Amino acid sequence: MDVALTTPVAEGDPPKAGGPPGLVPGGAGGLRAISFAKPNRGLPRNREKGQIIPASAPQDFKDDLGRPFPLPERTPERIVSMAPNITEILFALGLGDRVAGVTRFCDYPPEARSIRRIGGLVDPNIEIIQSLDPGLVIAFRGNPLRLVDRIRKLGLPVFVLDIGQGLEALFPLIAKIGRVTRSEERAAALAAGLRRRLEAVDAAMGEVRTRPKVFVLLYGQGLWTCGGESYVDDLIVRAGGTNIASSMPKKWVLYKREQILEDDPDVIFILARSGQDFATGRDWLLRKAHVESVAAVRSGRIYDLDENAASRFGPRLVDVLDRMARLLHPELFGDAP
Amino acid sequence: MSRKTGRRLFWAVCLAACLAGFLLSVLTGPVKTTPGDLLRFIQSHDRVQAAIFIDLRLSRAVLAFLVGAALALSGAILQGYFRNPMADPFVVGVSSGASLGAVIAVSLGFEAAAFGFSGPGLLAFISGLGIVSLVYVLSLRRGGFKIETILLTGIAAGALASALTSFFLFMRSDSYDQAVFWLLGSFQLAEWGQAATIAPWFVLCFVAAIWLARDMDLLALGDETAQALGCPVRRVRKTFLAMSALLAALSVAVSGIIGFVGLVVPHWVRILIGPGHRALFASSALAGGTFLLYCDLLARNLLPAELPIGVITAAVGAPFFLYLLHKKR
Repeated sequence: MDVALTTPVAEGDPPKAGGPPGLVPGGAGGLRAISFAKPNRGLPRNREKGQIIPASAPQDFKDDLGRPFPLPERTPERIVSMAPNITEILFALGLGDRVAGVTRFCDYPPEARSIRRIGGLVDPNIEIIQSLDPGLVIAFRGNPLRLVDRIRKLGLPVFVLDIGQGLEALFPLIAKIGRVTRSEERAAALAAGLRRRLEAVDAAMGEVRTRPKVFVLLYGQGLWTCGGESYVDDLIVRAGGTNIASSMPKKWVLYKREQILEDDPDVIFILARSGQDFATGRDWLLRKAHVESVAAVRSGRIYDLDENAASRFGPRLVDVLDRMARLLHPELFGDAP
Repeated sequence: MSRKTGRRLFWAVCLAACLAGFLLSVLTGPVKTTPGDLLRFIQSHDRVQAAIFIDLRLSRAVLAFLVGAALALSGAILQGYFRNPMADPFVVGVSSGASLGAVIAVSLGFEAAAFGFSGPGLLAFISGLGIVSLVYVLSLRRGGFKIETILLTGIAAGALASALTSFFLFMRSDSYDQAVFWLLGSFQLAEWGQAATIAPWFVLCFVAAIWLARDMDLLALGDETAQALGCPVRRVRKTFLAMSALLAALSVAVSGIIGFVGLVVPHWVRILIGPGHRALFASSALAGGTFLLYCDLLARNLLPAELPIGVITAAVGAPFFLYLLHKKR
């Protein structure tokens, strides 16, 4: 792929190279959020089910960079969220009215759209953040560290979160946001609700005999899919399928046509932003992609997944999981596919 | 108009523009502020306003000025060094070497700050200077010292570094967005620490360049002539090359690659005030700083989102350059 070093960058037209085309959206930008999050492997992760971070003394509390973070006494009045999934979790915790600044990619829930925009994920405007005089800035590892440090140097309290690789990492993420916003109880309730739904899917999958082979297509140009390092891989496994690209040690990979013919997936999910995109993507698969021999194409088991929900490491991933599980194993849920 | 009056006029205009640029930089930004706000702020200190006026806007303006001055001075030195108006910090490979270092750092997630630089900045600085040293050593080994050799070696080394940069970008597409801010330059994260890191070096190089400017004038007559006129050619050449490489590498380390300033500003200045190197060096630094100050103003105010400054420098610089060039003929 040609990498133009001098591509001008303008708003809404972020540069891209080597990345999945569909992932660099003008508007949504969710997958982008994930695509450059680097899971910090050195971090201790909270793997136990739904466990809330133990209520330690406030001065022991650390963010995901391992930096001590003094817990506020109560929920800060003005919170700046530097990523769509953080915004989403803040709203899910009922803190929407405290959110004073969001990125231009934060479009869920719809109320988030009317909040002051601070810019993008790698190019938020520090001046706007400062002018909001926030009591808390929640960043994540996809925001450049230099940027986070620059904001910290202004004396603003910045809490940095990592996203994990699997769905399980959602729980410590929610717990930490709950803790840092002093909304521990609501966070526990949210986590418990999600846990119940997750366990329901797990229980249903206990009886599963066949694991359909799944290919996830990112709507855009070419056969971009999610590799074994993506949490979408984890979603597929939990939904009782197998990701044909799971052996690829990457988050997003451009799959080869020969490979997809050989792997012969039973089901194809298209991550699409709209019904229109889905229809276009499906037509492309059916007619132009030269993959007619693939089982999913022959049987028509091509379904859409909401890109907006699936691309953000937030509570709506459980919705996506539900949908995947029902579509992969309609027999277990008594649904028509 | 005599050359002397012209020079004075040039200086007066540049200084006035520079001061106006600083004032505009402090007053404009995504957060609306009026001159009245600034006056009130000077009288009564407000925490949020202090952060915006002093910590964010002024530090950024100062850094932009310093980097512009350093790049223009570096370019002026190299053009004299090579006796070639096409020379700029890109030619000897500083920029491509530095971008390679920055992209490697971004790709590998090496972000820790050290010595007043960020991780990519530090690696950019080291690899920028490293590639110049390599180019210099390689050129020396080809029996004696020839300008063409160092130019060509620099271009080849630069091309190799660019190829490696593209490779790293391709392999780690995750980091592309972050890397772009290096490859096109930005003062988005400017802070006083960075200005303090480069200011002493800039001053040192500036004073040395002014000091050695007469030797540079002699070099323009050819190395043998200069030698005959009592200029220690080799030592002077080495010093100038080291200075320009240092200036360019420092600039890249704090702001990423900003093209065009080093190439074009010395030209403008030469067209306007003539080729004497002492005045050329001083004026290039002032004009370069002022130019970049205004480019940064545009970069952060033109669109709701910030533009990389490299886009602006080329877009604004090139037409103006063409205008001057044709007016002269």
